[in-house]
Amino acid sequence: MSTTLKRVHGYLAEFDSVKDLYHAAEHVRDAGYQRWDVHSPFPIHGMDEAMGNPSSKLPVFVFCGGITGTTIAFTLETITQTNFWSHIGLGFLQKIVETYPTVVQGKPTDIWTLPAFFPVMFELTILFSAFTTLFGLLALIGLPRWNHPLFVSKNFGKFSDDGFFVCIEARDPKFSQEGTKSLLEKAGGKNIELVEDEI
Amino acid sequence: MSHHVTFKDLPQGGEKFEPVKGGKLIGTLGLFGLLGIVASAFFFFNNTATFAYSWLFAVFFCFTFVVGGCFWILLHSASNSSWGVAVRRIWENMANMVIPLAILASPLLLTSVNQPLYEWMVHHREAAHHATEHGGTVKEALHHMAVDNPHLHVLVTKFGYMNLTTWFSWYSRFAAYFLVLWFIARTLRGRSLKQEQDGDIKHTIWSRQFSCIVLLPFALTVTFAAYDWLVGLDYNWFSTMWGVYIFAGCAWSSMALSILVVTWLRSLGYLQKVVTGEHYHLMGKLLFAFTVFWAYISFSQYFLIWYANITEETRFYLTRNTEEWRAVSIFILLGHFIGPFLFLLSQKRKKNPVIISLGCLWILFMHLVDIYWIVIPERGPSLGIGVFAPGAWVQDIAALCAVFGTMGFLYLRGLAKYSLYPWRDPRLIESVNVIN
Repeated sequence: MSTTLKRVHGYLAEFDSVKDLYHAAEHVRDAGYQRWDVHSPFPIHGMDEAMGNPSSKLPVFVFCGGITGTTIAFTLETITQTNFWSHIGLGFLQKIVETYPTVVQGKPTDIWTLPAFFPVMFELTILFSAFTTLFGLLALIGLPRWNHPLFVSKNFGKFSDDGFFVCIEARDPKFSQEGTKSLLEKAGGKNIELVEDEI
Repeated sequence: MSHHVTFKDLPQGGEKFEPVKGGKLIGTLGLFGLLGIVASAFFFFNNTATFAYSWLFAVFFCFTFVVGGCFWILLHSASNSSWGVAVRRIWENMANMVIPLAILASPLLLTSVNQPLYEWMVHHREAAHHATEHGGTVKEALHHMAVDNPHLHVLVTKFGYMNLTTWFSWYSRFAAYFLVLWFIARTLRGRSLKQEQDGDIKHTIWSRQFSCIVLLPFALTVTFAAYDWLVGLDYNWFSTMWGVYIFAGCAWSSMALSILVVTWLRSLGYLQKVVTGEHYHLMGKLLFAFTVFWAYISFSQYFLIWYANITEETRFYLTRNTEEWRAVSIFILLGHFIGPFLFLLSQKRKKNPVIISLGCLWILFMHLVDIYWIVIPERGPSLGIGVFAPGAWVQDIAALCAVFGTMGFLYLRGLAKYSLYPWRDPRLIESVNVIN
């Protein structure tokens, strides 16, 4: 007798084609499930809508990241190379760092030397946006992680080749052993299995 | 996929536009065109020198839409895209406005019009006069003139490009630009119309090959036209970014205009099944791309000249960064780039036809300001009447009404000639159901 404890992860169902998967997703969406996902070898246009996914929060993060980059570049450059901050009455800021105006080609040392700073502002905007895109994405999708319960299923390996899957997780409030299974059957799912995770 | 449209859902023969339905806008444009032409005729005879600038400004403003329309069909065919089939006819018709444009641009060929615009022509004509009187070539005569006036040396060295007498003269190039654009626009629309007879994919493939070949002549046309008409206003000035800068504005503004035309047609009950929010989103994304591209190019141009600080180069920005023009320059930075950039970031705004159309109106206005800012600051200094020619803004408005009104009137009426979308294009259904 085995002593390993197991936890139900959810139901996994396989579908034959993109079309079936798409319709199944619409079924599951309409049944009101929240914690579930589809897996396919390639991205499917319109799947977000079929799954009823709300639009991603990522763009908001990226926007804030980009603005942060612009601001940091602007502050760093103006504080070290111009007298802009003293002009607007915040001279104490420029006492924190040593202001060292770099006079090139007789350019002014006030705010109108700004075009010289654009390339750095542009680049830091891009850099910070890229970082927030990458790390924000990883945080939102929960990567990196060591393992995923779905890898227990032998059949699931096909998701990276020619398999189309829907998985409804057990932590969904609507999940029930009978109801969820019959929903997936009605939606045309094949090889329906209860995936159990060892803990 | 639940709203999948098939060929059966679309009317046989496509949708024909009836100008009566859009009579309000067409009539207004026509009226403005007519009044503009009357006023322009008055200004042409009374204020030829200052009015020449107004006319160049108005003609070039419309030129950018023809070039842009041409670019979008070329890009669409050359990149083998299918998403834009539903709106391709809009661009085809826009590009084919090249003939009315050529007629409206023809006053620039008159000596009395181009003389006040292009100072180099004055010197060249004087040199030609000397050459006929004392013998020798025009170039030699220019060389002689440069002894007394060292500023003219640059005209001797630029003679190969800037001249009025050789086979590669300003005049022959003027004709060549319109011929190339006319050839491209006409051929591509011709193929598209042939496809409506037989529905054969071979026309699509042929257009693709043709577009790949003519992309280079097209690019050269835009670049050189921009040099001849705009850079030529100051013969000392040069910028290697100029062609790309103008091109970026062309693509940007014509995309905004086509979005507006699509919205207008949809509000009249056309293109209901063919164009969806997805098309708005796709076009909005391209608009966004060119907002950034324009900013990148125009800043690169400004930045290099500002940093290098070479006398011949800085004059362009010196004129536009001092006096009242400085405010316009800053306004362009905010309104041409920062505003549209923030506006077009959101997917929701791009997908909403009403909101994006309002944005497109703003974009058209900013493009107008950009072209105005390129042409008009040259007027006062070139004619020796200070920074501004007093009261000449009325002439600018008259010229704009004349050219844009007439072109708009003819364009919208011309939409009625063919179906509003290529109804037998084999990839129409792919385009109608596009999801991105």
